[in-house]
Amino acid sequence: MTTAQSIDGEAVTTKLAMRMEDSMQAFAVRAACFIGGLDVPFSEEFDGHDFGATHVLAYVGEEPVGTVRVRWFQSFAMPERLAVIQRYRGHNIGALLLERCRALAASRGCNMLYAQALPADVKYWEKQGWRRLVAEEGSAGDKRIVAMVKAVDPSKPLPEVEAPEAVVLRREPQLDSTGMPRGTVSN
Amino acid sequence: MAVDSSAAMPTRDPVVTIKLASTSDELLQCFALRAAVFMGEQACPYWEEFDGNDYAASHIIMYVDGEPAGSMRLRWFQSFCKLERCVVLRRYRGLGIHHEINAWAKRFAQRKGYTKAYVHLQKRHMPMMEKEGFRRVDDRTFKFSDHEYYAVYCDLDKVDEAIRLDSDPMVVNRPEDRLDEEGILEKSAARPATNPHAPHVERLRN
Repeated sequence: MTTAQSIDGEAVTTKLAMRMEDSMQAFAVRAACFIGGLDVPFSEEFDGHDFGATHVLAYVGEEPVGTVRVRWFQSFAMPERLAVIQRYRGHNIGALLLERCRALAASRGCNMLYAQALPADVKYWEKQGWRRLVAEEGSAGDKRIVAMVKAVDPSKPLPEVEAPEAVVLRREPQLDSTGMPRGTVSN
Repeated sequence: MAVDSSAAMPTRDPVVTIKLASTSDELLQCFALRAAVFMGEQACPYWEEFDGNDYAASHIIMYVDGEPAGSMRLRWFQSFCKLERCVVLRRYRGLGIHHEINAWAKRFAQRKGYTKAYVHLQKRHMPMMEKEGFRRVDDRTFKFSDHEYYAVYCDLDKVDEAIRLDSDPMVVNRPEDRLDEEGILEKSAARPATNPHAPHVERLRN
């Protein structure tokens, strides 16, 4: 896997969001990709987990062009909301972000990365060295999400996990739905 | 990402709510909508969209059935109010609701005593805004962020209830989009003026 070190003479870099402005950039990139590009509603994109997560950013020069959010669980780290601004795609910036997640997880003593992918994206994750948590194809519809895993340390492969998909794909409950930032009308 | 988003589609009789963004969550909603439309749809670079003026401005957030749907930024100059960064999310377009944001912004500016609203208008939107009474300031055409613009403005009627130097000070203190409702500082007036100040403490040396 090669990653572009520069695009049009501008360095490609990653960093962890440390300041409010960094978080703002992560949110802006996600809003551009998911709300603007894929028509995801605001309240689904900003789901209440953003302030219990770590945000990683990718830059081309000074321009924030990609982001991924990592949530931390006892037995795995979960990269999600991977986004790269459309005109910067095709330079492996997503791979660079996921590698930063892996290194971060390693530095925290975490052994496993876990992600939920759409069936159409499974090939992409496999190219980055991920595999399906449950080997066989489920009775898949297009919208069915697929649990993917990757060892944090490639020299220590993950043991086979035997878990029914229904369990590993269980959604984390809303922390506190009354506290969600939404509008003034509820319906 | 395939998402079942039918829950957030506009209903037949959408409940439209417009308010001043007054919390950091509401401000984030404004920023997210602008990122969606300008960065996502119009390929605007981040640093052009978030140009340094966001913390010197008033932001309006519009909800449709409780879901953030539109936004506008207002900046205040001595002789006019500048309406800018107006967005409506794609799924809420065609309902004509940008007119509601414009109307809200104009009333808001009137209430603050402004008699002119000023806009940098993408040329293609000129017919739409002419219907709202906007006309060109002069013949200049200018470009930025890959679009061509006119400077346009419209006059706003003076209103009796506009904030002036001799307005009730406690009305001036109210949240600016709710000048007719008692504000939290008026409620605080029930407490006596005890003039509390923390005593000055010398910083401890090592």
